[in-house]
Amino acid sequence: MSYINKQPKFKLDYIVMFLLFFTIFSGASQNSNKDLSINIVTSFDGESIEKDKWYVTKNNDSIQITKLRFYLTNFVIQTEDKKNDSIFNSNYLIDAFNKETLKIILSNTNYNKEDKLLLSIGVNEHLNTSGANSGDLDPSKGMFWSWQSGYINFKMEGKSPSCKTRKNKFQFHIGGYQKPFESIRVLTFKLSAIKNNELTININIAHFFDALQLSSQNQIMIPGKEANDAADRLPQLFSIDE
Amino acid sequence: MAIKHKDLFFDYPEYWPKPNYDFSKLSMSENEFQLGRQLFYDPILSRDNTISCASCHLQATGFTHVDHDLSHGIDGRIGTRNSMTIMNLAWNTSFMWDGGVNHLELQALAPISSENEMDETLANVVDKLNESKKYKSLFFQVHQDSLVTGQKTFLALTQFVVMLNSYNSKYDKYIRKEAGGDFTEQEKNGLSIFRENCASCHKEPLFTINEFKNNGLKVDTTLNDYGRMLITQNSKDSLKFKVPTLRNIQFTAPYMHDGRFETLQEVLDHYTADVQESKTLATELKKTIQLSHIEKVDLLVFLRTLTDKEFLFDKRFSFPNNNL
Ligand code: HEC
Ligand code: HEC
Repeated sequence: MSYINKQPKFKLDYIVMFLLFFTIFSGASQNSNKDLSINIVTSFDGESIEKDKWYVTKNNDSIQITKLRFYLTNFVIQTEDKKNDSIFNSNYLIDAFNKETLKIILSNTNYNKEDKLLLSIGVNEHLNTSGANSGDLDPSKGMFWSWQSGYINFKMEGKSPSCKTRKNKFQFHIGGYQKPFESIRVLTFKLSAIKNNELTININIAHFFDALQLSSQNQIMIPGKEANDAADRLPQLFSIDE
Repeated sequence: MAIKHKDLFFDYPEYWPKPNYDFSKLSMSENEFQLGRQLFYDPILSRDNTISCASCHLQATGFTHVDHDLSHGIDGRIGTRNSMTIMNLAWNTSFMWDGGVNHLELQALAPISSENEMDETLANVVDKLNESKKYKSLFFQVHQDSLVTGQKTFLALTQFVVMLNSYNSKYDKYIRKEAGGDFTEQEKNGLSIFRENCASCHKEPLFTINEFKNNGLKVDTTLNDYGRMLITQNSKDSLKFKVPTLRNIQFTAPYMHDGRFETLQEVLDHYTADVQESKTLATELKKTIQLSHIEKVDLLVFLRTLTDKEFLFDKRFSFPNNNL
């Protein structure tokens, strides 16, 4: 009796997936041609984000920001007839201190000014549970939790004398994909603001602190209710130049 | 895109359930397996180049740590838990005592990086590998590209550990009615005692149901480890830990998530006399398990039949003996 189950391995799947991907992709590019370029501008109430600069929050906490990184993903152009024209592999890790990450180019898009742009702050559930990913989702990017699997969707760290913590640090690591604490948030923008195939998305960090007293809340390091509540505030940070 | 040569077979007995792991990202090549093996035994993965995976997971002891109850070496939560065995991982649905890790490919992130300092650490490992001639060439052999990434590092480690399958114990041979699988009366009796009292959680053939249960251990107040609740933040999961496999259990002491028991005798004494009542205690254990002295001996004798010497001494899994 042979008890060994020799599985022919996955060569075939690879080819099929590859072909499928190719057909979809080339099909989509046929009737579309514009490159849409998205500029990401982070600020604190209009002031640029710089490492040693001091900012004052609405609640009078003085702060410095040392790290600001987050995922923008799932870019979708939604036409009026709701036929979604999604852009493949659109997972971008934005780092306020790394210029190269502040420009996103969506190539071969097909849109009108009446259309909408949908995107998410954070990484979708599937990618949170599908093992080691590549590119901006590579686990070496420092945006994946080790003890409790899942991406950190939004990470902000800094200092404030109001924080009675080690080195006066605050750390907000916002993530979590499991119900009821999924922390991904969807944004919708009108594309009417596009000029010369360019769109600017502004992220005003000041709003993160509007409802926050740093002396009492200065650490979020795990998924849960706190992270979820903080994620609810994130869309308020985002706007486009109209 | 290079279509990779698949020359590894992932073998397991045909009467076993299908593996849970999705192999599609692995090359299933001998090269990737050997690369993973190098990484597993190489302290280059630790911050100060002193600790390898094998420091805490030794082959001869079912890839767990013997001399310490709580694994030493790296700060963070790892210091408060007993090392786990590494075998038949493709059937796991989650990893770690609390199931905090959701995917085998990402499991290695936990030991490599500590919770608060992780941003730098895996990135540093990747940098170190990118600076190593040996690894550049090994990665090239697998991917036809010598650039090392976090993903490729984890896939290689996975390619190694996922092959660590144990299914040739005396018990397995008994089930398959093979040579070397003749059970004594005592072993047969032990098996039926096991099926009656233990198999509801330690279910054959993998000896786990891949669920989290509170098996009635007294809370160690110096650790206050509430297990699964740390992950779900749900008080219903308080004191629940993953049901571990019992394969090769003879050699994987100390036992339990905090390594509190040195011997299997102590484990049986726990199940028969010391199970703590609590809100989350598993229903299977609410009624005290009663075993006579002789029954305990038979059960212990049976547990030894789960030892798989072919696995524990398989040279393909041992320290790579080469001069690369
Ligand atoms: C300092 C000791 C230590 C080192 C080094 C170490 N581990 Fe572990 N390993 C542990 C401990 C402790 C656990 C259980 C952790 C927990 O539950 O929190 C574990 C759990 C695991 C598991 C989970 C098994 C299961 O069934 O859930 C795997 C797989 C594993 N380790 C592989 C590795 C690999 C691969 C490496 C090298 C990259 C490694 N370990 C390095 C101590 C260590
Ligand atoms: C209700 C489910 C359940 C039942 C029934 C059960 N166990 Fe367990 N067993 C567990 C869990 C959960 C753990 C891990 C507990 C921990 O570490 O906190 C465990 C751990 C163990 C360990 C330690 C394994 C290791 O690697 O450290 C041994 C040995 C063991 N059980 C043997 C038995 C035996 C023998 C029986 C029958 C007398 C039995 N178990 C019945 C759930 C169960």
